[in-house]
Amino acid sequence: MAEKIEAERRRAIEVPISPSIPSGEGTVWADASSLLGLACNDLRDDELINGENFNLFAAMSALEIMDPKMDSGIVSTYYSIDEAIENGAAPVPLSFDRTLDVQRIIDIMDHLLSCEATWHKGGSLAQTVFSSIYLMRPERTSSHALLHSYCRVIRATSNAVVSAVSDARTNEEEDLFTMTYGLPLKSEGDDKCLSMLHAVEEIISRQLRACKAPPSKKRVLEDIEPLQNNLDLEEGFCKALLCRLRFRKHFYHVLTCMRRPQGKGLELAKKHIVSCLSELDSMLKSGEFLRSNNACGTLEDGIEDKTTASGCQPIGFDSTLNSRSATPTPPRAIKLFSWKKAVNYFQKLLHDLEILCSYSSDPVFESVLRFVVDFQKFQPDLVARALVQLLVVQDGRLYGRDPMFAVICKDALLPDGAKNHDIQKNITVPQLEQLAINLLRVLCTNTSWQRRKLGKILQDWRIIYVQLELAFKKEYGDILRSSVDENLCIKICKHILIWVEEKTYWIASRFLTLGFELDLYSPSEYCMAYWYMYVILMKLAEKTHIKMMMSNETSRRKTKKKRDFVRDMGKDHQIPPAVLLFQCYIYVAEGLMLMLAALRNEHKVFLSLGPFNSEHERFIQHFELLQKACLPDNVSYFSFRETTIHARFSTISVYNCFKDAQRIAKELRDSFANDPDRIAELRRIEQVAEHNGIALNLICRLGTLDPSLKVSFEFTHHPYLAVAVVKRS
Amino acid sequence: MAMEGKAQFDGSEIEYVSYNGEHHLPLIMNLVDQELSEPYSIFTYRYFVYLWPQLSFLAFHKGKCVGTVVCKMGEHRNTFRGYIAMLVVLNSYRGRGIATELVTRSIKVMMESGCEEVTLEAEVTNKGALALYSRLGFIRAKRLFRYYLNGVDAFRLKLLFPRPESNFPTDNESHRLLTGGIQPEENSMLQNSM
Repeated sequence: MAEKIEAERRRAIEVPISPSIPSGEGTVWADASSLLGLACNDLRDDELINGENFNLFAAMSALEIMDPKMDSGIVSTYYSIDEAIENGAAPVPLSFDRTLDVQRIIDIMDHLLSCEATWHKGGSLAQTVFSSIYLMRPERTSSHALLHSYCRVIRATSNAVVSAVSDARTNEEEDLFTMTYGLPLKSEGDDKCLSMLHAVEEIISRQLRACKAPPSKKRVLEDIEPLQNNLDLEEGFCKALLCRLRFRKHFYHVLTCMRRPQGKGLELAKKHIVSCLSELDSMLKSGEFLRSNNACGTLEDGIEDKTTASGCQPIGFDSTLNSRSATPTPPRAIKLFSWKKAVNYFQKLLHDLEILCSYSSDPVFESVLRFVVDFQKFQPDLVARALVQLLVVQDGRLYGRDPMFAVICKDALLPDGAKNHDIQKNITVPQLEQLAINLLRVLCTNTSWQRRKLGKILQDWRIIYVQLELAFKKEYGDILRSSVDENLCIKICKHILIWVEEKTYWIASRFLTLGFELDLYSPSEYCMAYWYMYVILMKLAEKTHIKMMMSNETSRRKTKKKRDFVRDMGKDHQIPPAVLLFQCYIYVAEGLMLMLAALRNEHKVFLSLGPFNSEHERFIQHFELLQKACLPDNVSYFSFRETTIHARFSTISVYNCFKDAQRIAKELRDSFANDPDRIAELRRIEQVAEHNGIALNLICRLGTLDPSLKVSFEFTHHPYLAVAVVKRS
Repeated sequence: MAMEGKAQFDGSEIEYVSYNGEHHLPLIMNLVDQELSEPYSIFTYRYFVYLWPQLSFLAFHKGKCVGTVVCKMGEHRNTFRGYIAMLVVLNSYRGRGIATELVTRSIKVMMESGCEEVTLEAEVTNKGALALYSRLGFIRAKRLFRYYLNGVDAFRLKLLFPRPESNFPTDNESHRLLTGGIQPEENSMLQNSM
């Protein structure tokens, strides 16, 4: 290996120096290969160069682990695909025994499904799907219609999936997914894969009909050559092949239909999804037949972790062949999904896509946000997330249909005429539109990345508010002071400004709640997290309420001061259900914050103590992004301390918090009677409030008497509203 | 917890030493290879122990190396930051505070050397490590999706040292427009287990 490296280096050095790098004054190019050679000889195994301008980090970065040129530990059976083919690793046909040929093709199909699922779940394309030598050499399979058409549809599907994910750019940290360098992803003729697949499917359907026909009709069908030689197994093999081919066909249709502009293909996509799911069921059913009639005999270990339904090892795969060219990073050790797990993955993906296709493309921004957030609760994988984003944002418009300014106006509860107003020509407005689009995009990313991104964009939303305010003031006078005789222009300015604030607080609240869902807070930090959630939700409720009141010309009134505002809300019958729902969350968050504070103050539990820093530092770290964006103004660690330091079980109004939350949640049922998701959420809030109320009573009654009482917090009823669990230790 | 397979010893029998030469390297490598899921090349170890020998410690019990910590520190986006690369204690020696002692020694040196914060990554499933770092004041700053080669998510843990005087951003600073995306903070994929 060392000699090989040396030879390669020499060759590299012998290449004439590019004339584009001229020798400057006082510099001359010189051949350094012999010097380099000597230096190499000086280095012993496991040594690194460490110099003044070439530190150990640089030396480490220069190394490419698992590149066979630098890493002699990498073992491949073959050094190239051609070598593998010459050695008979991927024969065409797979066998001259036609039964065996069919068995082996089915194994390839199944193994490819396992590869595909592994790829979707984070493996590299080169090491999964394109570990198939047959896929890598499209021309070699052309004599074998069945194999050829299947390879084509796999390539075309992979290509469609790659393009969806790259277009959506939801793959920030999953960029391994779209790396296709050196892979024949777009082989000529793959675009006709469906017609080829259809032709093959037609033949096998006829073969199936022929073998099932009663003897009287057999003669008519005798001119049809059977699929393979063993007529007892003919029906089983035909069926196993047909469901596999049909699944591919419908899955490809699903992808293309979903990409049609403005969601126009969703209805059709839904039909194909149903077909896909039914073919997957048939595939699972074919498993038993394939296992009992496999070509590799009885299986020693279970079928569960096999990549094929038959349990046999497939022919024509080598995951090390592409490892050199396909990715700039070292290839990862990949454990392939089993075939069963792969089928389950596709079932999950299709169910996620079904939800997507059933969505009504509601043009209200707030509804879109809610839809995407709810969709994320199903924990969709990358492909589904890419497709939801491509549906929601197309060509800078909502669903590729509604201009963003119109969407914003609608959500800001402005009259219909506002969307055509000249105000959108103001330079700041397109920036706002862009922020709204970015927000939608970010919400489609994986939740880990999403939270970080949401934290960062808060700053942008604060800035756009200031910019809009300045721009509006400059162009339309001091809008804040004119309250009578509003013309449309001023109305738009006011509504948009409050809308921006509302959305900013919405982002902040999502940022905080995702912290719970991602398990970023430890129990000793729950108190401050709920305190912050309480503060942010109060502002969100306030802004939403103001927005709604502003739209209601008749009830134009000055908003109350911040503190009175929320306190009075429960008594005010005019309060819209959307705001009351926020109030439920506010009460629960407040209740949890006070309960935790009392536990800290009286029971000395859930305290943040450490040898190196204090709770203040933890607060700064967790909420730095909110604080930097002044969300809201004038709150700090000291406001948190002030609110919580005196909390005691004897005095706290925490009991009322949970009771009020429960009461409002019950009252709201009628308002959301037509919205089953909201009804379910109200039920969850009620449960959280109820359980916490009970736990609280228990702690108060027994707490001081029984030191063995242990309180913990669990997320059994709600993703971010905890339930206190009281146990004797 | 069953005590089977647990070593019997007194805490005072554990001897802690700072890394002091090539003879320690194989001890560290053996421990890490044995207990952590990520594969590291010898170069990774060299990189750390040659540049920051003062941040690496080993724990011995009757001459046997039973635990080690490997760290680094340096400038990271205008912050002088310590980084805990590997923390390992032999399974049979866990639960007796050896890891805490090892990592505390490193963190103290970092603090004395002027670090403003300390970071590391740990698998989200590694409850022992998460509890240990939480006790020391680390927060879970971020979740890193499928961070490890085995497909498991990681938490980025951070410990912020108290600042000499409050230099929290002023309003002016906070109105700076944020541009550009988030860059990965550490390219190395290292982990901690104890």
